[in-house]
Amino acid sequence: MDQHQTITLEVEDKPGVLSRISTLFSRRGYNIESLTVGHTHIPGVSRFTIVVTGDEAILEQIRKQSQKLIHVLKTENLDKSQAVMREFAIAKLKYSGEHIPKINELVDLYGARMLDSRNEVLIVEFSGTEEKIEMVFKDLKQFKVLESIRTGKLAMRTGQ
Amino acid sequence: MSDKVQKIQEITGAKALVKLLKTNKVDTIFGYPGGANLPIYEELRKSGINHILSRHEQGAIHMADGYARVKKKPGVCLATSGPGATNLVTGLANAMLDSVPIVALTGQIPSNMIGTDAFQEVDCINITMPVTKHNELVLHAEDLVPAIKSAFHIANTGRKGPVLLDFPKDVLDTKFPYNFQSEMNLPGYNPTIKGNVGQIKRAIKILKKAKQPVVLFGGGIYLSNGINEFLKFIRLAQIPVVRTLMGTGIISEDDPLYIGMIGTHGNTIANRVINKEADVVFAIGTRLGDRSVMKTHLFAKNAKIIHLDIDPAEIGKTIPIDIPIVGDIKEVLSDIIQRLEEKSLGIEKPWKINNNKRTLLSTRDAAPVMQTIFSELSEIDQNIHVSTDVGRHQMWANHYCTNPKHLPLITSGGLGTMGFGLPAAIGAWFADQQTPVVSLSGDGSFMMNMQEFIVAVENKIPLTVIILNDYRLGMIRELQTTSYNGHYTTHNFSEHVSFTKFAEAMGGKGFDVKSTEKIGSTIREAIQSRVPTIIDFDLENISKSAHLSLNSVAS
Repeated sequence: MDQHQTITLEVEDKPGVLSRISTLFSRRGYNIESLTVGHTHIPGVSRFTIVVTGDEAILEQIRKQSQKLIHVLKTENLDKSQAVMREFAIAKLKYSGEHIPKINELVDLYGARMLDSRNEVLIVEFSGTEEKIEMVFKDLKQFKVLESIRTGKLAMRTGQ
Repeated sequence: MSDKVQKIQEITGAKALVKLLKTNKVDTIFGYPGGANLPIYEELRKSGINHILSRHEQGAIHMADGYARVKKKPGVCLATSGPGATNLVTGLANAMLDSVPIVALTGQIPSNMIGTDAFQEVDCINITMPVTKHNELVLHAEDLVPAIKSAFHIANTGRKGPVLLDFPKDVLDTKFPYNFQSEMNLPGYNPTIKGNVGQIKRAIKILKKAKQPVVLFGGGIYLSNGINEFLKFIRLAQIPVVRTLMGTGIISEDDPLYIGMIGTHGNTIANRVINKEADVVFAIGTRLGDRSVMKTHLFAKNAKIIHLDIDPAEIGKTIPIDIPIVGDIKEVLSDIIQRLEEKSLGIEKPWKINNNKRTLLSTRDAAPVMQTIFSELSEIDQNIHVSTDVGRHQMWANHYCTNPKHLPLITSGGLGTMGFGLPAAIGAWFADQQTPVVSLSGDGSFMMNMQEFIVAVENKIPLTVIILNDYRLGMIRELQTTSYNGHYTTHNFSEHVSFTKFAEAMGGKGFDVKSTEKIGSTIREAIQSRVPTIIDFDLENISKSAHLSLNSVAS
């Protein structure tokens, strides 16, 4: 059955590595739902978290094909039950005085952080599971959202 | 300490590159010069490496491909930036799909101009990324030594394939204290060689229980140099075998264990045995490609499938596999043989296959003439490297070129590259200069890279090009017959080329053959002449001479 699957790739931080991965995905017809990449604690090693659509056989094929790239060090298919998965988002809201209690309520409810506030425009930061970020975005609709952005997923296996 | 650093002599990138080619025992390079790779030519000139000038970069890379297949080590080709690099693309894809080790070197415009659409600039790395096993832009002098060492290592280990290195002209021109001791660092590249013991035991267990097991094998047996182990294994296990197109020549057609070839252009018996009769299929060194498997849901539908391959991504790619074994075929089969010698499978003789006659391809459109030509060629009792092009002649050659001294066929199996045969045969000659080469072509394929014939003349290569000339694209006609209700279009060549005059114009020898009785004698004369020759077999007239009509032969 087609569903969202999460795969992480640990890669050597070499020029063009993003291009290699995106070329592989597009060439083999894998659909990327989201892609997040950044450095790890190891110098020279970056990590991708990629969410794709497909069944388990496709996911395994994606993992194996990615592993064949010379600059890919490690690949792992992650299952929700054995991993933490987080997203991060920031949004810019236009508000006036009467909105303040509601905003504070949301900030408390979702554990958000105010990053900036000036001239009745504020920027808030949220993080959490995909479902939580969905809910945040739904709740934000009651305000005038000027801009927003969410990252893709970051995922990590639980335990050792 | 500083003394030691100063002792490292400063040399140009081009000089360092050529030095490393020699360290890697490169004796021949196929290439074409241009502005951006001239620094390499300046060094090659003094190197003692034999440089073969093709007439098109595609020719150069197919030569490197033919060379690699015969020499069993990486073929090297060299092109310039821009169009030089793009002309390599077909050859890279060809080598990628047939797992041929190639190191392709390209010149690039100077690094400070990259990205400016400078003269003869293309984004070579991104263009060639999906058609190479690996590629790299060598932007910094300190990366050059590890990049070249890695290229040869990656191309020729694991699942073999093409690696491309792109060198900006300034990197080639600038002097730098190169450290030839600097090691390659490939933490993400560790091909699996030894098979998993548990999986091997499981495979043996399943074979032991099987009543009608069949081995299906492909070109991977060659790539791992595992022919002896393969033959030993099947004799020990007494399992009938079926091959793919890339498995030509591994086992004799007369061998009692050999059933036939599977696939669209295979033998009915082979397809029937795999798809209907086998209860266990042991696939070895084949990627179970679509031309072999045909309909995935019908493939080996009554069988448990064991799949042994060096590339884990080929296992389960299109066909679900019961027992995957990742590893080098030679290694894994040696392991299996050892286990069977300790405790045999208990199969005394192969299971009996009913109605085991090998029916062959359709006899339409002058097929019997092709059959005669290939049978006559197979009569010649000497070592010959035989290449093919792509089309009907390729499929017939696959069935009728049966002399083990002429096999394996050097053929473009995965990509189906028309124009491959001639340059590949030239490359094969440079890999083994004791053995004459024969290139089998259709008129369509030959005209895709016919300019390379001059390379054979220049280098006095005992090459015979056999053109099966139907004055059209025969396989296109065949497909239009079978799949488009005979709506023929765009398959006829209205003007006929005189290939014999072409051969003479290039300084070779040409033969026109228009009758059956001349077939064998002309092939023998051409090959024995030991000069570049083209034999133009006029299939239509030969058919007529045998009182057969081209379009209704035995159909």
